[in-house]
Amino acid sequence: MIAIVVCAVLAVYAGLRVVTERNTMKKLPFVNVISFGVAGVIALLLPHPLTILAAAAYFVGSTLESNAIASTWAGGMRRDD
Amino acid sequence: MIDTVMIACVALILIGMAATIAARDPFDKLISLSVMIAGVFPFIADRGYLDVAIAVALVAPISTIFILMACRRETA
Amino acid sequence: MISTPEFIAGMILLVAGSVSVAYARPKNYVTRLINLEIPAWGLLLVMLHFNESLALFTFAAISVLSTYIFVRTIQKREGA
Repeated sequence: MIAIVVCAVLAVYAGLRVVTERNTMKKLPFVNVISFGVAGVIALLLPHPLTILAAAAYFVGSTLESNAIASTWAGGMRRDD
Repeated sequence: MIDTVMIACVALILIGMAATIAARDPFDKLISLSVMIAGVFPFIADRGYLDVAIAVALVAPISTIFILMACRRETA
Repeated sequence: MISTPEFIAGMILLVAGSVSVAYARPKNYVTRLINLEIPAWGLLLVMLHFNESLALFTFAAISVLSTYIFVRTIQKREGA
């Protein structure tokens, strides 16, 4: 009961920090905080054994998305053609 | 769902939506869109559609990667 | 019955996202393409309110495909 509320409030606080941050690169750690919090909310929401798999799938997807944004912003894997 | 968690998820959706519309840089818009998508997933998991949640969570980053292909071509 | 939070949040996302696509502020293709993701998730929430499980699966798959087609169209338009 108290754990899921802590996860949700932490996610909202990190969301507010993402919106009020000016630098683009400094937004990405707070996106990671949102990912942790929402994965905790998904895992604690239902008493079902498949929720931990759903939380793991969301965490993998969110991490992949953040890494793709950061890699493109830094100009990674540039092919000189 | 507990009311506090529900209000937090709705707030996360609305914060992400407002920031996505208000931002000017494409990367800021994509990060804010990630905040909005994070608020949608607890509603899917709360209805009990865990298979739908797994499928959408694995398919949604591919959409972002396709948009990043267009972003890099424009800024370069 | 109609006042579940999924339905209200989905309708807000649909209306605000559609207006933001129609009147995009930096008036270029990438802004419209990113804003087009907002009504897609709003429609997903409205489908969730009506318990349409198969519609959720199909829409999530087809949304990615249409995004890929839009990106290829934009690249072909700007490369020419």
